[in-house]
Amino acid sequence: MKRIVVCYKWVLDEAYIRLNADMTLDTNQVDHKISDYDRNAIEAGVQAAKALEGTTMGLTFGTAEAKQSLKAALSRGLDESCWVNAEEASQADGAATASALAGAISRIEDVSLVICAEGASDTFARQTAPRIGALLDLPVVTSVCAMELLGNTLLATRKLKDSTETLEVELPCVVAVLPEVNAAPIPGLKAVLAAGKKPVTELTPEDIEADLSPRAKVEQVRGYVMDRKNVVLKEGSAQEKVTELLAHLRKEGVL
Amino acid sequence: MDDEIFDALVIGGGLAGLAAAWTLADQGKSVLVIEKGDYCGAKNVTGGRLYVSPLLPHLGGLLDNAPFERSISREELCVMSAEGSLTLSYTDSSLAALPGQSYSVCRAKLDRYLARQAEKSGAILATKMRVDELIIEDGAVVGVRSGGEALLARTVICCDGVLSLFPQQAGLRGPLEPRHCAVGIKEVVELDAQLINQRFGVSDDQGAARLFLGDATQGRFGGGFLYTNKESIGLGLVLGIEAFSAEGLDLTAPELLERFMQRPEIAPLIAGGQSVEYSAHVIMEGSFDQLSRLYGNGVLVAGEAAGFSLNAGVTVRGMEYALMSGHLAARAVVETCKRDDFSAQSLSVYQKLLEDSFVLKDFRSHRSVAASLDHERFFGFYPGFVTGLMHDLYRVDGPKQPIYPTVRKHLKASVIKDALFKDLGKVRKL
Ligand SMILES: Cc1cc2nc3c(=O)[nH]c(=O)nc-3n(C[C@H](O)[C@H](O)[C@H](O)COP(=O)(O)OP(=O)(O)OC[C@H]3O[C@@H](n4cnc5c(N)ncnc54)[C@H](O)[C@@H]3O)c2cc1C
Repeated sequence: MKRIVVCYKWVLDEAYIRLNADMTLDTNQVDHKISDYDRNAIEAGVQAAKALEGTTMGLTFGTAEAKQSLKAALSRGLDESCWVNAEEASQADGAATASALAGAISRIEDVSLVICAEGASDTFARQTAPRIGALLDLPVVTSVCAMELLGNTLLATRKLKDSTETLEVELPCVVAVLPEVNAAPIPGLKAVLAAGKKPVTELTPEDIEADLSPRAKVEQVRGYVMDRKNVVLKEGSAQEKVTELLAHLRKEGVL
Repeated sequence: MDDEIFDALVIGGGLAGLAAAWTLADQGKSVLVIEKGDYCGAKNVTGGRLYVSPLLPHLGGLLDNAPFERSISREELCVMSAEGSLTLSYTDSSLAALPGQSYSVCRAKLDRYLARQAEKSGAILATKMRVDELIIEDGAVVGVRSGGEALLARTVICCDGVLSLFPQQAGLRGPLEPRHCAVGIKEVVELDAQLINQRFGVSDDQGAARLFLGDATQGRFGGGFLYTNKESIGLGLVLGIEAFSAEGLDLTAPELLERFMQRPEIAPLIAGGQSVEYSAHVIMEGSFDQLSRLYGNGVLVAGEAAGFSLNAGVTVRGMEYALMSGHLAARAVVETCKRDDFSAQSLSVYQKLLEDSFVLKDFRSHRSVAASLDHERFFGFYPGFVTGLMHDLYRVDGPKQPIYPTVRKHLKASVIKDALFKDLGKVRKL
């Protein structure tokens, strides 16, 4: 049967991260979650499986922490999940991550489609899908905002700056989806319960062929506070002030 | 796939719910906890002191390695008027001994730990899910509805805290009334552990509990509290809702808290700290007569959902009752599973377990405490009287009266004489 592999990342829930006075991050007591955009990737996988009459597998490369992610991912409708458990994941760069994921994917049979999100909600490096494609020598389509499967062909719409591009690609291939691709539903209670009973595979770095040493190393992560512009519109009538306000907002790209 | 029918479905993963889930799972029963928060403890508010001693014989396995903050070795009471305050500080060798009888706790840490323990024992935890209603068939609770889905269980244990609507839905209690409720408002200020040690005269593992009476609540029913955690101080106010909705008060609860934190008794204790958490929650005044009926067909109620919290104005105790009642509800379910009979009659064993435990014993013995305390003299007049007397005793700016005449002057000057006799009667009920 055709298999759809969805790659996802188990990230810190940024809503609970606090900024210390010295701008370092306080991640104590912060739980993890499936990266926001990966929820759409998973949903895209679930829908693709329906179209292809195939099965879905979640795949994550993470530290011991990521074990908790398996149930969370499965409750979103995946059929099974696979976890490459490696301490290296905490220091991995785009190359190491893609190498681990591609290493795992090459062990999986009948893969027709690999789906990633365009970027992870913590780092948004946008490297995973292109690198996996390169490592596996598969076509890659990024920035996908709509997709449809017709037999063995993927019809994908890419979002460009102010236009869209639609292209056709033969399976197997790798796609990176944008959140616009679907509305990922919140899993219901029964889906959560069913998730506990689905099959899970755990791999270690020894099980796969991968280069997990990072070449780009994270030096530090710090909070960033944007300076206020402190623009005060005092002159003129209300009408003029509003017009000026709109002009400012447009200039900032807010509107 | 056939839907599993759980032995017990627990609504709410707070202290009561997690104690119930852990106990059930530990006894090999299938149990599902449904918690609406992002994780257990995400939204739970507590002043922060848990009396551990009475729980250990029953919940040792759950609590032995729990992440408590500091053992409370210093018990302090501060009586405040607008102008001054008198603070009593008590400690003794047994309070200072470790392990202590009571600990300050942070719910975000504690509840998460308990959730992990319950899961390790085999309980299933579903967070970010809210129970919308009970499913009642032929007068018996048979499950719950959540997000449009129905889930069945042999028993449902309602542990969803003070604002629980399910006991009402199950016909076990009437609606909550404002006069039986207080609002708790609290801030957590992060502070270096060494500074806390110095400011409160405690060592690393030990801490202080300080309660405030009088001006903290502008003389109305309620009080202030302050607990030292490992690296933070939790402090706040408990305000009787009826007393504070009455005429004549121009400050809101947040303003009162602000004012409280700026008092000279408090400000130096938290100086240099960073406020990291702000929360508010309803507290049930709590008394034996306001308890919910505790069980019905297929349903049990535990923790604050049942009314198990005692608010005596200055102290609120709810956590140990929540943990213990959750535990006993679970034991009742284990019993009824043996009989395969989940009727009210069968579940009444819960009531019996509670009667034999410190939970209902405390509620019976404190039956009239809150009612007797709900009196302006306790929260307004006496604090003023005490600090006025202290002022004159310690003030020297001319000829000084001996001690006794000073005391007598104060006793005479105030309305205290008749009142004192009446109030002594009330004090006997405490
Ligand atoms: C300011 C303040 C200070 C206090 N100080 C102390 C103190 O020092 N010592 C002490 O012992 N007690 C204190 N208490 C009381 C104590 O916090 C409570 O009695 C105790 O938390 C009750 O525990 P519980 O498990 O019954 O309920 P909770 O801890 O409130 O847990 C209820 C859980 O149910 C969940 N829930 C609610 N509705 C639903 C739903 N529909 N579906 C799914 N989940 C739901 C909630 O998210 C929550 O996690 C204080 C309370 C306050 C507010």
